[in-house]
Amino acid sequence: MAGALRKIFATFARSYPKPVAQFLPRLYSNVPTPYEIVDAQEERKTYQDVIDKVNRQVAQAKQGRLFAVVHIQGKQVKVTEGDVFVVEGYWPPGAGDRISLDKVLLVGGRDFTLVGRPLVQRGLVRVEATVIEETLSHTKTHFKKKRRKQYMRINFMRVPQTMLRVNRIEIVGEVNHPPDVTGLETRVF
Amino acid sequence: MVFTSVANFVRSRGPDEFWRKRKIFKMAAHYIGRSRNCYSLAIRSVHRALVFATKGRALKKQDLANLWVTRITAGCEQHDVNYHVFRESLSRSNIMLNRKSLADLACWEPFTFKALTDIAQKRALEEGIAPPKGNKVLFVPKRGSQKKT
Repeated sequence: MAGALRKIFATFARSYPKPVAQFLPRLYSNVPTPYEIVDAQEERKTYQDVIDKVNRQVAQAKQGRLFAVVHIQGKQVKVTEGDVFVVEGYWPPGAGDRISLDKVLLVGGRDFTLVGRPLVQRGLVRVEATVIEETLSHTKTHFKKKRRKQYMRINFMRVPQTMLRVNRIEIVGEVNHPPDVTGLETRVF
Repeated sequence: MVFTSVANFVRSRGPDEFWRKRKIFKMAAHYIGRSRNCYSLAIRSVHRALVFATKGRALKKQDLANLWVTRITAGCEQHDVNYHVFRESLSRSNIMLNRKSLADLACWEPFTFKALTDIAQKRALEEGIAPPKGNKVLFVPKRGSQKKT
């Protein structure tokens, strides 16, 4: 019954006025799907025991090795503790800097996965990494030639590369129990 | 008799010929036959190789993208979801994992991938997302760790 109700709302909301719709980029978040929660208690019952299990496991530190999909430099990387990965291109952090990777799209372990929509709650997962090396890539040769037209160009390029080692991935606090005040993690004063 | 103007007929093509050609021979050292020893043949091969290397960098990105799509499709079909339905449903659920991440999860984190297919199936059911016409999930025999139901 709830499913049918949602379907009706979804098809209704999809009709934006045409002069507006043709200029909007085709992102699905542009067209919000209004949902009507019919029975809040029932909804909570279905997910609360799963969340409780996860929180218990994390509190007892029995979750084991965690992996995370992290968004960095416009790319997504699946990392776990001890991994070394490369960030290509201009990236300010220098060698020896300790960094926290905040844009976590997904965290998982042996028994559970936390899927972010699109990102996991800000303070919930802590992914720490250290910059171990800053180098240039091998020399890439950009060679263009048009045959029989006396056109030949050669360019050499070396792309800066930064190596990061992931020190640890931790779940801090409880799932579905965000702190009362957020946004102060990076505040200095 | 000394013919002094004979010396004028000697034309040097430049002092750097050896090193100019050495740059090419270094790159052609592993070629087969005369292409590694004769300059005229070597330079043609080397130029083609450099052009292929340059173009290959763009092709590699395309090839890897196709590989990821293949892997995600394979993972999806093991859970009876269509790839297009899967990606559309995840997109509408605001889950912004790209093809690279999804392929990695499909390969190395099967339980996580199953959770994502479950989310996608529920969303597809609610919103009526159907696979494109003619795009049917073929019969995929379940093997190994997957239970046959």
